[in-house]
Amino acid sequence: MHPGRQLAVLGLVFVVLYLAVFFAGGAKGSFTDRLEPKLGLDLVGGTQATYIASQQGEPPTQEAMKTAQEIIESRVNALGVSEAEVVIQGNNTIVVSLAGEAEDQLKDLSQAANMRFRLLTGVTGDVASTAVNPPAPAPSASGAAPSASAPAAAPSGAAPAATAKPSASTGGQGGGAPAPSNEPSPAASASAPAAAPSDPAAAPLPLSAKNKALLADVEKKIGKSAWTAAEKLTAPVDLSTDPKAGLPFKAFSTLSGAEVNVLPAKMQFNVPTISCDQLNQRPNGAIDDPNAEVVACYSGAKVMLDKAEVLGDDIADASPQLDQTTGQWVVSLDFKSAGQTKWTELTRKAFNATSADPCYTAATQIGASAHCAVAVVLDKEVISAPEIQGVLSGQSQITGDFNAATAKELSDKLKFGAIPVNFEAGPMQTVSATLGIQQLEAGLIAAAIGLGLVAIYAFFYYRLLGSVIFLSLALSALLTFGALVFLGRTMGFTLTLAGIAGFIVSLGIAADSFVIYFERLKDEIHEGRTPRSAVPRAWHRARRTIISANAITILCAVVLYIVSIGAVQGFAFAMGLSVVLDLLVVFLFRHPIMTMFANTKAFMSPRVSGLGRVLRTQSEEPASSRVKEA
Amino acid sequence: MARPGLATRLYQGEANLNIVGRRKLWFTIAAALIAVSIGSFVIRGFELGIEFAGGTSFTVPVATAEGKLTQEEAEQAVERAVTSVDPEAEVHAAQQVGNGDDASYTVRASALTAAEAEEAKGALVQDLGVSAEDVSDNQVSSAWGDAVTEKAILGLVIFLVLVVAYLIVRFEWRMAVAALASLLFDLVMTAGVYSIVGFEVTPSTVIGFLTVLGYSLYDVVVVFDKVQENTRGITAGSTRTYAEATNLAVNQTLMRSLNTGLVALLPVGGLLFIGAGFLGAGTLKDLGLVLFVGMGFGVISSIVLAAPVLSSLKDQEPKIKAHNARVLARRAQRSSDVAPKAERARAANATESDEVSVLAGGTTPRPGARPVAKRNTTRGGGGAGNRPGGKRR
Repeated sequence: MHPGRQLAVLGLVFVVLYLAVFFAGGAKGSFTDRLEPKLGLDLVGGTQATYIASQQGEPPTQEAMKTAQEIIESRVNALGVSEAEVVIQGNNTIVVSLAGEAEDQLKDLSQAANMRFRLLTGVTGDVASTAVNPPAPAPSASGAAPSASAPAAAPSGAAPAATAKPSASTGGQGGGAPAPSNEPSPAASASAPAAAPSDPAAAPLPLSAKNKALLADVEKKIGKSAWTAAEKLTAPVDLSTDPKAGLPFKAFSTLSGAEVNVLPAKMQFNVPTISCDQLNQRPNGAIDDPNAEVVACYSGAKVMLDKAEVLGDDIADASPQLDQTTGQWVVSLDFKSAGQTKWTELTRKAFNATSADPCYTAATQIGASAHCAVAVVLDKEVISAPEIQGVLSGQSQITGDFNAATAKELSDKLKFGAIPVNFEAGPMQTVSATLGIQQLEAGLIAAAIGLGLVAIYAFFYYRLLGSVIFLSLALSALLTFGALVFLGRTMGFTLTLAGIAGFIVSLGIAADSFVIYFERLKDEIHEGRTPRSAVPRAWHRARRTIISANAITILCAVVLYIVSIGAVQGFAFAMGLSVVLDLLVVFLFRHPIMTMFANTKAFMSPRVSGLGRVLRTQSEEPASSRVKEA
Repeated sequence: MARPGLATRLYQGEANLNIVGRRKLWFTIAAALIAVSIGSFVIRGFELGIEFAGGTSFTVPVATAEGKLTQEEAEQAVERAVTSVDPEAEVHAAQQVGNGDDASYTVRASALTAAEAEEAKGALVQDLGVSAEDVSDNQVSSAWGDAVTEKAILGLVIFLVLVVAYLIVRFEWRMAVAALASLLFDLVMTAGVYSIVGFEVTPSTVIGFLTVLGYSLYDVVVVFDKVQENTRGITAGSTRTYAEATNLAVNQTLMRSLNTGLVALLPVGGLLFIGAGFLGAGTLKDLGLVLFVGMGFGVISSIVLAAPVLSSLKDQEPKIKAHNARVLARRAQRSSDVAPKAERARAANATESDEVSVLAGGTTPRPGARPVAKRNTTRGGGGAGNRPGGKRR
């Protein structure tokens, strides 16, 4: 590619990014307001809310408090990549701090966290991204629709059961054999999405006046034709037969969580353009109503769940146990007497289901072998979906791929569900920055010093080529800044002092990839190549090294982002961002600039590039080495 | 013959330090350091910050009888009160909660027992001259939940598995093992420094630690890339043993490693200088410190640990073993009939002389060398016959 063209692409990226910074993603206010990144709690302070937790009027147990902290934390984290702080204070208070003015976001957190047991009646892959942007040629479509049965990665915060294949069965020795791990073929589930919800005639529940108004708005936003089409759907749209089938529903992908929430459950499930992300952003308590069918996400697939026949407070106790015969960890579950009757009824329904029942088809898609599965839903999350392997009239066991820790985690959550914890919202107050402006200034001074040192070193060592380093560092910094401002507004990405320090370091590491390139160039010129031929050759080799090394960093960032939560997730995001920007600068700026430089005469002069020195010393050496060789 | 100074030779990539040859020395040093670190983990453990261990939080009113307290005064007052009870306790920055007359400051300190907290509260009340009911103390949990740690560890394990798979595909399993060994060394050493010196472990430290992880592998990949290049087709020739070729690669990338290390450490040094020098404590110092220590070890271990581990592993491979034996046999034979012993040994060791002769368009190939067109050698592939002639990447 011509160097000019690469520079043009970079210019385009730059222009688009800064246009987005100034005009997209809800930009408002004056020129400087639009350039303001979203700063973190430690730098600008924020809003603090306290929640007093109680279990039936009593202060919760320590374990329940921990689970409550986790639930509040996952609710906060669902708001975006912001570094919130959630701590337990005293024995029953949870204090949540968020950066900036966040009253609105904190309002919703005090919703009680309830547990529901619901029959799983439908599964369909989360195909929103493919539905919105269908692949152009039709043949590739079959591979594009992700299968529900083989989700790539469990969503963060999913229970261990998400990766296991749990099954529930009557308690007692030997009764709890794990389900055979027959994984349905991806093709099967892609071409035959789950059956429609069990009761297509179920009328949507009466909505409150406020929700009705919102629903009317949503209907208008979607447009008449798409709305009617969505209402007519009786099953999820099958993208494997027609990859473009999702297009009429494109407008649904722009709905907010609250807007998705007022849609009938059937529609949430059937419309392919509604993603799991959108479902997760529904208000807390959105799927609490035991008398409604609801849609949730499990292992990256959308699942349709029946009315809740059994509730969390039907549970008497749950505990992790080591099964003596199989040597496996299981979670044992006891119900109160009234709850037991309901549970037996529910398990009978699940166990006796035949292949004609919709729940049967759905269960096979999540790995069950012959019976329906019951989803255990805590708050908005399906924490486990065991296949029912018997009519359970006594103590029940959930078996699966547990270890001691994950079994305890699940049983803690079940116990938590047994006694719903209520949160009473205390006053919301603004809090000041913990570090304050002087630390921010210090951080920026540190950045200036660090980059100054890198620049001095680069000029000293690489002479005029140092200016390429310097320019591209400046460019990296500008791109990073633009990305931060934009992401802060759209994704809630907040910049803490640690984040700033991280970006400073990443600039240093970005300078690394230059060194690799320049040292390689030196090698090539040392060999006696002309700059014109040395530059492409050095680039060819250095590119390989740079890509391999950066691939590892990207791998690290992606894995940590998917798996981890909280501050670590924020870190992974920042790291991934800086590496991608580094690669962008390497490919679209440094290489074309070097190619252009190589065509100038001054390039080889020792004073200019610091490369000629290699040549000069080399010309003196052959004589001496001859002597040595003789 | 006068050899150029070390700096110049470093610049030329011809420092010719025998690094891989002294691998026993490096392994001994590394083993000793690891033993010391692990000993320290067991005996001393880590100094966990309030974010991990939880602590005690004090709330004091902004408005006192003597006027309004500033954030700094509140912080210092709590620090005086807390350290009077427990001299080792840490105190975090104050935070103002609310506005107007009801506003208060909360200050978090290390965990105190109920009695200690009560005593500290008493001291605080006396110090500030406020009424006892305006000051409160509370136990606070860790802000960094166990779940965060668990998920981060899970993420790391998955990452390491994937990265090993990647290195096996990109390089080979021996290199993956060597890279992992050097990574573990870096992490253990960094943690060891924290444990031995007793630096406080904060969330910033953990974040820095994760950065070190990526950086350390980055560094090793750069070195191994060169090793792979130098040793491609090594068995076709018989001039160098695998260890020597690896050593050459290490020497050639030495300047690059030092450069990348220096360039990456300079901004970190800036952070540390400002963070520790001017502000005393806090996020900048925490991050600067862990990165400085970790990346420092990363640079060192990629040079003196990763490559030696690799060459020890490779020397076990039958093909390489046979090759090494052949090279040594040939060398012994040659040194007895062609050249004075000392000269020969030197040339065998100082491999760069071979290359230079090639680079300079040497017209008299040494015995055993295959004719190689000048343009067909890279410096890396240097020695004549190291690679089948004409093979070009």
